[in-house]
Amino acid sequence: MTSETVNAAAPPTVEAASRGTPPPPTRRLGDLPVAVLFVLPAAIGFVVFYLWPALRGLYLSLTKYNVLTPPRFVGTANYERLLGDHLFWNALKVTAEYVVINIGTQTVASVLLAVLLHRLTRSLLVRGVVLLPFLVANVVVALLWFWMLDYQLGVVNHALDWLGLERVAFFGDSDLAIPTVALVNTWRHLGYTALLIYAGLQMIPPSVYEAAALDGASEWRMFWRVTLPLLRPVMAMVMVLTVIGSFQVFDTVAVTTAGGPINATRVIYFYIYDLAFNRFNFGYAAALSSVLFVILAGVAYLQLRLTRAGESDLKGA
Amino acid sequence: MAATTALVGRPRHGRVIPWGRIAGWAVLVLVMAATLFPFYWMLRTSFSNTRSLAAGAADLLPADFTLGAYRRVLGLSSTAEAVAEGGSGGSVNFWLFLRNSIVVATSVTVGQVFFSAMAAYAFARLRWPGRDAVFLLFLTALMVPPIFTTLPNFVLIKELGLLNTYLGIVLPHLLMTPFAVFFLRQFFLGVNAGLEEAARIDGAGHVRIFFRIILPVNRGPITTLAILTYITSWNDYFWPLLVGKDESVRVLTVALGIFRSQTPQGSPDWAGLMAATLFAALPMIILFAVLGRRIIDSIGYTGVK
Amino acid sequence: MKSPLRSLAAAAAATLLLSACGGGQDAGEGAAAGPVTIDYWLWDTAQQPQYQACADAFTKANPGYTVKITQYGWDDYWNTLTTSFVSGTAPDVFVSHLSRYPEFAAQGQLLPITDRVTTDKIDLSQYQDGLADLWVAKDGQRYGLPKDFDTVAVIYNTDKLKEAGIKPEEMTKLTWNPQDGGTYEDVIARLTVDVNGKRGDEPGFDKKHVATYGLGLAGSGAGFGQTEWSMYTMSNGWQYGDQNPWPTTFNYADPKFKDAIRWFTSLIDKGYMPTMEIASAGTGQIDAYGAGKYAMVTEGSWNTKTYWGLKGVKSALAPTPIGPTGKRASLLNGLADNISAGTDNPDAAWAWTKFLASPACQEEIVAKEAVVFPAIKSAKAKAEQAFADAGIDVKPFTMHVQDGTTHLAPIAEHWADITAIMTETMDSVFSGKSDVNALDEANTKVNALLG
Repeated sequence: MTSETVNAAAPPTVEAASRGTPPPPTRRLGDLPVAVLFVLPAAIGFVVFYLWPALRGLYLSLTKYNVLTPPRFVGTANYERLLGDHLFWNALKVTAEYVVINIGTQTVASVLLAVLLHRLTRSLLVRGVVLLPFLVANVVVALLWFWMLDYQLGVVNHALDWLGLERVAFFGDSDLAIPTVALVNTWRHLGYTALLIYAGLQMIPPSVYEAAALDGASEWRMFWRVTLPLLRPVMAMVMVLTVIGSFQVFDTVAVTTAGGPINATRVIYFYIYDLAFNRFNFGYAAALSSVLFVILAGVAYLQLRLTRAGESDLKGA
Repeated sequence: MAATTALVGRPRHGRVIPWGRIAGWAVLVLVMAATLFPFYWMLRTSFSNTRSLAAGAADLLPADFTLGAYRRVLGLSSTAEAVAEGGSGGSVNFWLFLRNSIVVATSVTVGQVFFSAMAAYAFARLRWPGRDAVFLLFLTALMVPPIFTTLPNFVLIKELGLLNTYLGIVLPHLLMTPFAVFFLRQFFLGVNAGLEEAARIDGAGHVRIFFRIILPVNRGPITTLAILTYITSWNDYFWPLLVGKDESVRVLTVALGIFRSQTPQGSPDWAGLMAATLFAALPMIILFAVLGRRIIDSIGYTGVK
Repeated sequence: MKSPLRSLAAAAAATLLLSACGGGQDAGEGAAAGPVTIDYWLWDTAQQPQYQACADAFTKANPGYTVKITQYGWDDYWNTLTTSFVSGTAPDVFVSHLSRYPEFAAQGQLLPITDRVTTDKIDLSQYQDGLADLWVAKDGQRYGLPKDFDTVAVIYNTDKLKEAGIKPEEMTKLTWNPQDGGTYEDVIARLTVDVNGKRGDEPGFDKKHVATYGLGLAGSGAGFGQTEWSMYTMSNGWQYGDQNPWPTTFNYADPKFKDAIRWFTSLIDKGYMPTMEIASAGTGQIDAYGAGKYAMVTEGSWNTKTYWGLKGVKSALAPTPIGPTGKRASLLNGLADNISAGTDNPDAAWAWTKFLASPACQEEIVAKEAVVFPAIKSAKAKAEQAFADAGIDVKPFTMHVQDGTTHLAPIAEHWADITAIMTETMDSVFSGKSDVNALDEANTKVNALLG
């Protein structure tokens, strides 16, 4: 192995590694041989199952392609069409609304939940219960809530009736449909997200808390001064992952509102899917996907910059 | 400081009246109730007769109690019986499909977590030219809409002659997911450099550091990732539906798809669907119950053996 | 470290190559000796037993062929089928739908059977009138033979009818018109009950708090409205397009259509029918009917058995009302089997398709199962009898074919795009966000697609 030779180089500290300090001139290749070895299996998976299909998709966005007959090159026609497509702009707006509600509620609730789990109990039962919704497939969760929130038969509306309140058409009211879909997904992903954050909390050395406690810091202060800063790399990752996942909401809409009422829930991914598989307009769908990709990349880049995800404040601990 | 610390212990605040803790517990109980009620509703629905559900929509107890849905899921009831309770004639070879699900989810989890950990190590702890660029490239895979990947991947698996094989089902997720690499890299970044240095002075190479330091230190995150990967893989539906139609490799979720609606505008066999969902989740719940203690121990431990 | 990189590049190149030849057909399969297995797909499990029985009979008559039936739920069926076309793994024969097959045919994925029908002297007049025409595509080629037909009727809750003091005989004579709704609207009003027990035709009726709606609503029906509004628009003298099949223009801006829709949606304002919010905020018309929220619904014959299976409600059938034309109206629709263009064994696929469309399958097996109405005329009596044995008098469905009051389901190019445009507009009209005149713009858009 080459590792012996690398020993001579200074071991990379977290700081150096993340800030990309230029390597010593004598070792321009750094750990490259080892790195290639370590990255290779994942790289094969990446190239074959992600990169190649993505490039192919990019090419298809420049064609008229109905899936079943060969694509025909049309230049930027699909992108030009997109500019004047009111359903596309509507889809962006609706998706943004969904993401804001879903991420907002989910992030606050899951941080709260993770901290509670971390500070209050080590019970496996509690953690298991919280993760339960994630054990159920998305489509079933959507169907279950669709059934429970039914205007006429749903148990939730029966409960509202019983409390003397007006019934609510959760999925049928164009103002409520998106918040409803967003909250259903928050319900499913809350435990999952909380568990990711919980894993981050576990990485914070208890000694940090002990020191803070000795200084007489309250739980509240510790949360803002100790927990959140130390959690930053993990939080950054969780935010990037959940935001990207949130933009790609599809199943829940497909089995409940199917984009209705009157396009109120026609989120971008549902629109893309409908175009590609129901309307055989794959070229145009690919163009929409490419735009979505650029938007997501932009959002993720911004998030990473803002949260300085590459760094950890743990280095001094 | 040295990162080797003892078991996580909560700081003590004996002198303060624990109002915060009481409020905390109240919130926790509320969250658990909101989480559990829909599950009660699934349970209640699964013990109902689908045909009676509409008339008994407001009952908190099962409508027209029957075990029929579970019999349908296990393929124990005849077509006539099933149809009489609002189900379909589809039967499920439960144990075979359970085995298939376990094989698929286990191999995906082991492969994906291991290979992603290797890549994450290279991205987090090694220095090489182009590292950050390659990592960003990997990260962009997160944003590739699945609609791009499904068709070409299906064609590829078919061309490789892997349709209706375990390998065909697991291959796209076996080597990496951008999520797993990203997740582990973030945790590996946080590993105290002193540990590595010490090992290196002892003459350890990268492979040894990876296996003896990085993996054990990050047992918590790795376990978490493994759990999440296992669940995701277990619930995957559309890909195995495309690639693994054959009974010999059909996984549980695909087999249980028959409880969804069979006709346009038709409603699903609610009781069957809920029974099937609970059944599909049960193996995982049992798995966690059995392995629970181990998982907790590994998550709660941040040091090296 | 050059070699790993090179193998990476090689792997990538290999993938490119492999994926590039996607869409090709299987070369290795077929041509095998021994019994030929025909891969057959369908979506409805309720129909699987009867077609399994047909498959058994088919194999008995043709020992060289066996049929392997695969079933997918409706939601997965079309995706899976499309993907299988792309990868060359499509079934030999599959159950097809009018809204889908024209696109597949236009893209060369289906095997035309025109010549085989002629050679084998299949008598197209044995099917219900017009059904066979639906399966001749725009290119003039035939792609399927009818296997079943469906029509529309009213299903009502007999107890609620009795409570309202309406006699079942009255239900067979109802008329409607776009001005005051006729006796049909009177019945709907009478059947509507608010939370205080006041009926829709009584003073003090609270239309905001309705316990039971006289008529259920499944949705806006988009551009099709098969079970929602087609029986009104067509008995008002309206047709979908200038011709059918394959219209060159649609008539959604026609005053006859607008009048019928304006009357129909007025039932929502009067509180006799649920709002679009309610109709789309839940699990569907069947469940709501089963819970006693609707006294009657308009439904397609394929769902009949489901209604009779509901516990807690007793149902009966009535024909759709007589309209201003002096006649009733119902769409006539049906399924057929298509053969994939890429089938390994066209002869076997054809033999099986032919068998499915023959009296041996439809009259001797399918008719007796009482799930659907077989397309073959001579099988109708047997099917009616089978339903009667199950306690269902299906005359209100079948009288349409007897009296010649059926209208062929519309079949047009770009149907999915038309549906997208019409869903938006009709949803908007039904939820009171637009006037029926919004249909003018929608119709222009639809016609632009065809132009």
